[in-house]
Amino acid sequence: MNLTDILALALRNLRQAKLRTALTVIGVVIGVAAIITMVSFGIGLQQNIISNAFAKLDLFTVITVFGANTDELIALDDTMNNPSNVPSNNADASSNNADDDSGDDPSDPPQGESSPAASPTPDLRRRRLDDAAIAEMAAINGVRYALPVLMFQSYVRYEGRTERQRIGGALASVDYNPRFKNFLAGGSFTNDDAREVIVTENFLDRVAARRNPARRARRNQGPFSPAPVKSDEQRAEDAASAIGREITLLTLPSAAGPEPTSVFGIPLGLLEAGDQESGPDGRYETHVFRIRGVLPSDGGVNFDQFARTDLYIPVEQARRFRQANRDPLELMSEALIGDAGYQRAEVRVMDPTVVRDVQREITKLGFRSFSLTNQIDEIRYIFFVVNGGLALLGGIALLVASFGIANTMIMSILERTREIGIMKAIGGSDGEIMRIFFFEASLIGLLGGAFGVLAGWGTDRLANFLVNRYVVKQGPYIEFFSIPWYLWLGAIAFAVLISLAAAVYPALRAARVDPIRALRHD
Amino acid sequence: MPILEARSVTREYHMGAETVRALSDVSAGIERGEFVAIIGTSGSGKSTLLNLFGGLDRPNEGEILFDGKSLAPLSSREMARYRLRRVGMIFQSFNLIPTMTAQQNVTLALAFAGVARRDRRTRADELLARVGLETRALHRPSELSGGEQQRVAIARALANEPDILLADEPTGNLDSRRATELMDFLNEMRRRDRRTIVMVTHDQELAHNYADRIIRLKDGRVIDGDA
Ligand SMILES: Nc1ncnc2c1ncn2[C@@H]1O[C@H](COP(=O)(O)OP(=O)(O)OP(=O)(O)O)[C@@H](O)[C@H]1O
Ligand SMILES: [Mg+2]
Repeated sequence: MNLTDILALALRNLRQAKLRTALTVIGVVIGVAAIITMVSFGIGLQQNIISNAFAKLDLFTVITVFGANTDELIALDDTMNNPSNVPSNNADASSNNADDDSGDDPSDPPQGESSPAASPTPDLRRRRLDDAAIAEMAAINGVRYALPVLMFQSYVRYEGRTERQRIGGALASVDYNPRFKNFLAGGSFTNDDAREVIVTENFLDRVAARRNPARRARRNQGPFSPAPVKSDEQRAEDAASAIGREITLLTLPSAAGPEPTSVFGIPLGLLEAGDQESGPDGRYETHVFRIRGVLPSDGGVNFDQFARTDLYIPVEQARRFRQANRDPLELMSEALIGDAGYQRAEVRVMDPTVVRDVQREITKLGFRSFSLTNQIDEIRYIFFVVNGGLALLGGIALLVASFGIANTMIMSILERTREIGIMKAIGGSDGEIMRIFFFEASLIGLLGGAFGVLAGWGTDRLANFLVNRYVVKQGPYIEFFSIPWYLWLGAIAFAVLISLAAAVYPALRAARVDPIRALRHD
Repeated sequence: MPILEARSVTREYHMGAETVRALSDVSAGIERGEFVAIIGTSGSGKSTLLNLFGGLDRPNEGEILFDGKSLAPLSSREMARYRLRRVGMIFQSFNLIPTMTAQQNVTLALAFAGVARRDRRTRADELLARVGLETRALHRPSELSGGEQQRVAIARALANEPDILLADEPTGNLDSRRATELMDFLNEMRRRDRRTIVMVTHDQELAHNYADRIIRLKDGRVIDGDA
């Protein structure tokens, strides 16, 4: 008896009990649909985060380099003054890495490398992150640019409102900042010290929303940032109308307080006299910038840790403002150790494949660094676990279905005892009998798997539609689910496999039917 | 040398603590081309012996030999092959598969023997024609009379050209006219194809009229081996 015959017999058996077969198949359909929905959601999430969000932001080519913290710098100074302190300071410095702000510290130099013989003053590895160090990083092979991260918070006045904003420093050159490639209106700074500001569409929208409370209701909290509901022309128009407007940064008066009037030789008196205005009673100063460009804000999945600034000013301006906006702890640290250098620097590489090599070089220079490449493996692992967990839930549904299959098969065998006896009497072997029932079960699995994948796909479509419509509400249609081909095939194969497993006992039972007994009762 | 032989065969069935001896120390041989009837009262062990000959069952003691070779060492798979190729069985209750047509019942046996799909139908139709049922090929058992069903069963038993036909009360569910018809048919087939037939029956007269030899069983023992 060849496989076609066995298949034909199995099909015939299923056709003879259509209702029972249908009910069993439905059980499998539900299980497979559950797996598909769960796993496709996991994969979709993964793609949303890893592929779309990350790739879009060029985050794979950026390395963040951390400067030494105050504690390490104090240790460094001590070492320089008194080299006999080296070993104890070494231990001290490494034990203090834990409360370092970088937290996770993947590129700490391996301990094996820092043997005293190879490097007599290991603490010097924790270098000051200053302009010289940044220049060295810029010279590493594969690095496109290295810049200090200039980021500070300040009060900003725009359209009559004053609020706290995170402000970043950026280079005028578009080549250096991929984020500045596309402008909704305007363009990049005319030079690195211009009194110009680039704002995001988000910023403008937020201001507009404040003026128009009806729009505020539509703003979302949570991880989904609404993309513009406006038409593209409207967006461009709104952005264009903002160009040239004034944004005012507020600072404390440069003369106020006991601070030095210059740090690194940069005068703290920021401005030429004409630009500078004092507030009431001279308690603060105002510095007027003009909007030079508007960056589009795309909707999609956002995470706080990648929170971007909404305002950028030229790098030289940022340097000075940051200086003027240091917080008391920074001032204290300066009092302890003098020039602390920068806290962080951004190193951009030519392409993601060299990230690890460049990080190794940076480590040799004596800095810790972080890149998403470090974390991407971790994220992948997390998704692996999440997907696994979701698949497990679906698997449980399928497991339940497998009891249905086993039940159906046993029913079928009980009904067919006589038929099995006849088949044996005319020469059917145990193996052939068994194969018929295995085929029957795998057909149930195949049908259930195929329809289950369809049902899962349908569920995905529906859920995606509902979520986009009622939860995300605005913005581009976000694809939360993804069913790659291997999920289709895998789910069907898994359903067949589970069905076969469920049929093992019934099939063995069928093979063991005693033909004499089966044929005796009439 | 007998084509089929039972040598000191004992078959016991265990029913809980009780042991039923269906056959005890039975020896019997069937020669090639012979028509042997096995008769005896109900429960004397006739079907048990036939099932042992047919390879559906194995003895507790003694052995069954086909063509001088013992069936004892055969694996269950080889035993299935023996049933497929060497013997054809027919039963009192016909044992056709009720959901299949006459033709399908016959082709099933051909399928087990691995006959190519395209040859099966013509072979089945030939076999059905041989038992005079060419017009009934597409009927299900429920649409056939008892005699017709038994002839379908015979066609199926002969499908793979077995050496021996084993029949367990083939006329038991037929009226006397159909029974005579069937016996005539079997007899003619035996003469024409030189086939060996072993038939279990209650019917002394039938046995005397058609069989070359009669094996009498009583309480699981052979009491008389002659015609
Ligand atoms: N599978 C079995 N389990 C238990 N006892 C059995 C089994 N098969 C047969 N027997 C017993 O063995 C004895 C012989 O049975 P068998 O079917 O061979 O008798 P028989 O001569 O064919 O009778 P009948 O003319 O009624 O068909 C009987 O007592 C029967 O109850
Ligand atoms: Mg009997």
